[in-house]
Amino acid sequence: MITLSDIGAAALGGGELRAGGTDLMSRPAAGPHIDLRGLPELSGVTWLPDGSVRIGALTTIAALAADERIAAAHPCLALAAAALATPQIRSVATVGGNLLQRNRCAYFRNPAFSCFQSGGNGCPARAGHTLRAAVVDSGPCVAPHPSSLAVALLGCEATAEVDGTAPFPVGELYGDGSDPTRDHLLPPGAVLLAVTLPPPQEGERAAHHRTAGRALAEWPLVEAAARLVVADGRVTFARVSVGGVARVPLRLTEVEDALLAGEPLERAAELAATRCAPSGQNAYKVALLTGTVLEVLERAWAPAG
Amino acid sequence: MKIVVNGVRTELDTGPDEPMVDVLRDELGLTGTKAVCRTGVCGACTVMVEGEPRLSCLMPAAAAEEQEVTTVEGLDHPVQRAFAAHDGLQCGYCTPGLVVEAAAFVDGWRAGHGDVAPPRETIAAAMAGHLCRCGAYEGIQAAIAAACRGEHDGDAVTPARVEAMDKVTGRARYTTDVRLDGQLEGVIIRATRAHARVTSVRAAAAHVVDLLPSDRVVRYAGQPIAAVAAPTRREALAIAAGAEIGYEPLPAALDDAPDAPDVYGEDERKKAPNHSEGPTMSAPWNGNVRGPFNRMSKRGRTAAQRVEAARAAGDPGLVAGTFTTAVQVHTPLEPHACVARWDEDGALHLHMSTQAIEMVAAQAAKRWGLPADKVRVVAEHVGGGFGAKAGVTAETVAAVELARACGVPVRVVLGRDEELTTAGNRPGTRTEIALLTDGEGNLSALTVDVHARGGVAVGSGVAVMARLMYGRAPRRLRDYDVVTNEPPAAPFRGPGAPPLLWALEQTVDETAHRRGEDPIALRRRWDGNPKRQALYEVAAALPAWTGRPATGSQTGRLRRGVGVAAANWMYMLDPGTEVELTVEGGVVVARTATQDIGTGVRTVIASVVAAELDLPAERVRVEIGRTGVVHGPGALGSRSTASVAPAARDAARRLRQAGLTEGTRVVGKRRRDRRGYVTPFAVGGMAIGRGFSGAVHVTEVEVDTRLGTVRPLRVWAGIAAGHIYAEGPARGQCEGGVVQGLGYALYEERHVDPVTGVVLTANLDDYQIPGIADCPEIDVHFHQEGWDHVNGQGVGLGEVSTIGVAASVGNAVYNATGWRPRDLPIRPDRLIEGMYGR
Ligand SMILES: Cc1cc2nc3c(=O)[nH]c(=O)nc-3n(C[C@H](O)[C@H](O)[C@H](O)COP(=O)(O)OP(=O)(O)OC[C@H]3O[C@@H](n4cnc5c(N)ncnc54)[C@H](O)[C@@H]3O)c2cc1C
Ligand code: SF4
Ligand code: FES
Ligand code: FES
Repeated sequence: MITLSDIGAAALGGGELRAGGTDLMSRPAAGPHIDLRGLPELSGVTWLPDGSVRIGALTTIAALAADERIAAAHPCLALAAAALATPQIRSVATVGGNLLQRNRCAYFRNPAFSCFQSGGNGCPARAGHTLRAAVVDSGPCVAPHPSSLAVALLGCEATAEVDGTAPFPVGELYGDGSDPTRDHLLPPGAVLLAVTLPPPQEGERAAHHRTAGRALAEWPLVEAAARLVVADGRVTFARVSVGGVARVPLRLTEVEDALLAGEPLERAAELAATRCAPSGQNAYKVALLTGTVLEVLERAWAPAG
Repeated sequence: MKIVVNGVRTELDTGPDEPMVDVLRDELGLTGTKAVCRTGVCGACTVMVEGEPRLSCLMPAAAAEEQEVTTVEGLDHPVQRAFAAHDGLQCGYCTPGLVVEAAAFVDGWRAGHGDVAPPRETIAAAMAGHLCRCGAYEGIQAAIAAACRGEHDGDAVTPARVEAMDKVTGRARYTTDVRLDGQLEGVIIRATRAHARVTSVRAAAAHVVDLLPSDRVVRYAGQPIAAVAAPTRREALAIAAGAEIGYEPLPAALDDAPDAPDVYGEDERKKAPNHSEGPTMSAPWNGNVRGPFNRMSKRGRTAAQRVEAARAAGDPGLVAGTFTTAVQVHTPLEPHACVARWDEDGALHLHMSTQAIEMVAAQAAKRWGLPADKVRVVAEHVGGGFGAKAGVTAETVAAVELARACGVPVRVVLGRDEELTTAGNRPGTRTEIALLTDGEGNLSALTVDVHARGGVAVGSGVAVMARLMYGRAPRRLRDYDVVTNEPPAAPFRGPGAPPLLWALEQTVDETAHRRGEDPIALRRRWDGNPKRQALYEVAAALPAWTGRPATGSQTGRLRRGVGVAAANWMYMLDPGTEVELTVEGGVVVARTATQDIGTGVRTVIASVVAAELDLPAERVRVEIGRTGVVHGPGALGSRSTASVAPAARDAARRLRQAGLTEGTRVVGKRRRDRRGYVTPFAVGGMAIGRGFSGAVHVTEVEVDTRLGTVRPLRVWAGIAAGHIYAEGPARGQCEGGVVQGLGYALYEERHVDPVTGVVLTANLDDYQIPGIADCPEIDVHFHQEGWDHVNGQGVGLGEVSTIGVAASVGNAVYNATGWRPRDLPIRPDRLIEGMYGR
């Protein structure tokens, strides 16, 4: 089995790292796979004395969803994990692979097309079919970022630990979405070791929701996560993050600020529309975005049960 | 590397990244495990690894090193018997993956909860990673619930269909599983241009078989150009990917714009393939538009004049509108597949995934200039078809030509991308409809104009279907084909009817609404079909119907609605059908040249013979799926049951007279109906009989007006197709018809890149079919009277059971929201735009 220190060299040979393989195996192979499974540095869920939790990159999504302590401390992460893909995918797919998976643009995955993301020079999707395209326009590529966990982790203000670098906020894995050639910014061969979530806020309530046509097993059109602390009918802490609408998972600070300023939930949710610049067929995503944000705000405000 | 498969320690010599499913199927010959999507969406490839269900398409075999793998062949679990008993399957292609996953779920559930049935949603969530194109989800739910209750721990079950145990154990062999000695794998090289003349083809293979038409023009992206073969599919794919094709580009028509370039030159129009099930009807061409075909109109001018006058006068009795439907793709889980072998005597042997073995044999004999007895076709089990698998198609031509060129058997199996892009579809349509009601509330005129986009193919018959419903009022019915440089349509379960009913049944609903009349009451006044009258009576008394909300009365976020739609279909049969019975080893063996694509025709024959001869099930065996025996029907146009069942009964009666002594052989015929048929003689093995089958669907939905989603909650399916020969499979057909109809209503839509003409929905992530969690509770009601003139008193129901479903959903959404959907599918974006105008 490979050790962490050998991976850099192995990746230079053109190989791609493989964790659960559920994304990798569904794409044409770029080179031999480098199997990460079993690397101790990437395994395990560890609770640290300050209440934060370090989740190894090889932790499966099913394990994440089933972890009661995580569910209690970080419900939106557990909910996002439990709702994505299918039971079988969840049981092999990993946290690292989920964060670093490639996008699902139909043009990117079709060998008949070449585009920025596949080493080409252009974006056939922009002039083509745009029903699922990102509605927040941040650069030449309009494929929505695929990772559901990234949305939740962004809202949880998690940090990422990459072999050989100091921990950094999860959002920096993706940048601002202006680079159309990739879905994350790690160089080839860089190994994501873990993500770490700081302890939750005292009394926080959280929610997560995916909006899709079919009941289960479908990629969301829009998804959102919210964490709120409500005291005496006022929001004193808010984190709102969304996916499916932009090249990268997004935190909506404008919505958070409005909540803190005492705006009603509906008004705050409407602000999610301000960044949107629909084009082609994706204008409906604006309504779905504000609707989905309202959904998580309402649920976090008054959790069921 | 070493793995333990079904208890056997096995040494494997595979590349480290080779998917497990290929190792199991190709190296170990364990073909029970199926490969369908290869992208983790369908679950057909599920195996157990160390007791946990895993997708073998996304798992490198190397990841199971030193681990214990159990495939369906090694599974021995009560849930398999439960699937057989509760009919959790039709074609059976999804079944191996489902039973492996279900076994793990059932064990886990019983360990945690005891022997009680889980809630429906729990089962759906657990099985969410499996797709069943036949829509056997109700049976799957029932089977898993029963297994959880511990009902099938014993040995014996009475299977709902005779071949069920073969399908739940992985023994059933499909064409994709066939492997002959020395066989090569063939792959089709396809056009990447929507319209071009091919000037050169170069591929690194000893034999490159040409598949181009004589003018060397490709008219859609994905059209076959050539085929190559290699020892493995991977190698053949690599050769195909490396092929160099020279193109001289031609302008392509990718929409219906009036100035779109011509797809066919004037003298090429005859080449347009026909996507109807009948002969090509002549019609005028105007550029890319062919039509109108209007010969089914009835006092068409009167109808048009009345509608025009009403429009000019602002007559409130006139309801008019435009309705559209998306292109729907068949995507049976077993793709088109053919294994071809030429023997020493020059005879051609085909294993084929087909709905019509005799049609294939006849077409192959003609195409390759062979006497009829020199073509043998085998289709033992067929993993679904839905209309797209009739006759000699591209994979067959490729396999046969490659087998001849290479001198060895060749197998060609379409990839899911090919199946989803080029192997057939139901055309997208635009329908202008106007329906006029007179002062007494009677239908006074109807006009229907339908433009259908069947790609490079023609033969749309949508408007014509409106001839067959709602009495004799004048009607002008015009069908047009709009040809484009897109892949050809093919007949699809009830060709023409779903788009017509989408428009017509919503317009009838709208008429009732404007009149303030109950939509069922209005249909009872207008609909002269006595069998549907019986269905309306039951439907009108359903609690769902009587308790439905007033349209537009709800203001909350979640709104419930109930909608009704009627459907009508021809009764077709193959009057030349025969069934042969032979007593062999004390067992009565039934043979006829038909095939079971999941409809249950094996079971129909078996149950008729067993009942007539009063024999236990184990003393009757049905051997179908092979030519070279007495004539049997193709599985097209809902004709199988009405054709084989009477012939089987006739044979059984003869055998009883002859006595069941060893070796006795009799042949039974499909005797004529009283009063004969509408068609004086059978054309292509098909006659149209007297009377129409009918359906009434009552569908209840919940609309989320915030997020734009529509959830089907319950469907009542009333079906009038006379005597039901085999209850389980018939119910399965009707439930599957509902599921496919819901897919058509809510999710299914082929997308084509508007610039290149390349089909984008090339995997099962992007082409969305209903999953188990989308399947509502379905209540099937059979009205069995009214077919006394028919030999056997029963007719087919495969098509009538699906064609009206989408319209019932449209009417339910209208009832819930007051907004009427006009475009299919009813996507979240459309609902939101329709309700809020944004
Ligand atoms: C039907 C279906 C529905 C789905 N729906 C959703 C959904 O709704 N939301 C969602 O988020 N996902 C969804 N997925 C995708 C699924 O979650 C991903 O495929 C999975 O999370 C990838 O994890 P993996 O471990 O299998 O990654 P792999 O396939 O092993 O790897 C994915 C990528 O990450 C890289 N990588 C993996 N681990 C590391 C590491 N530690 N360090 C550096 N690089 C690494 C690999 O090199 C590769 O490029 C769906 C998938 C399917 C099939
Ligand atoms: S949206 Fe992105 S992935 Fe899709 S074609 Fe454009 S550049 Fe490629
Ligand atoms: S073939 Fe593996 S999930 Fe479909
Ligand atoms: S029985 Fe499930 S696909 Fe046919």
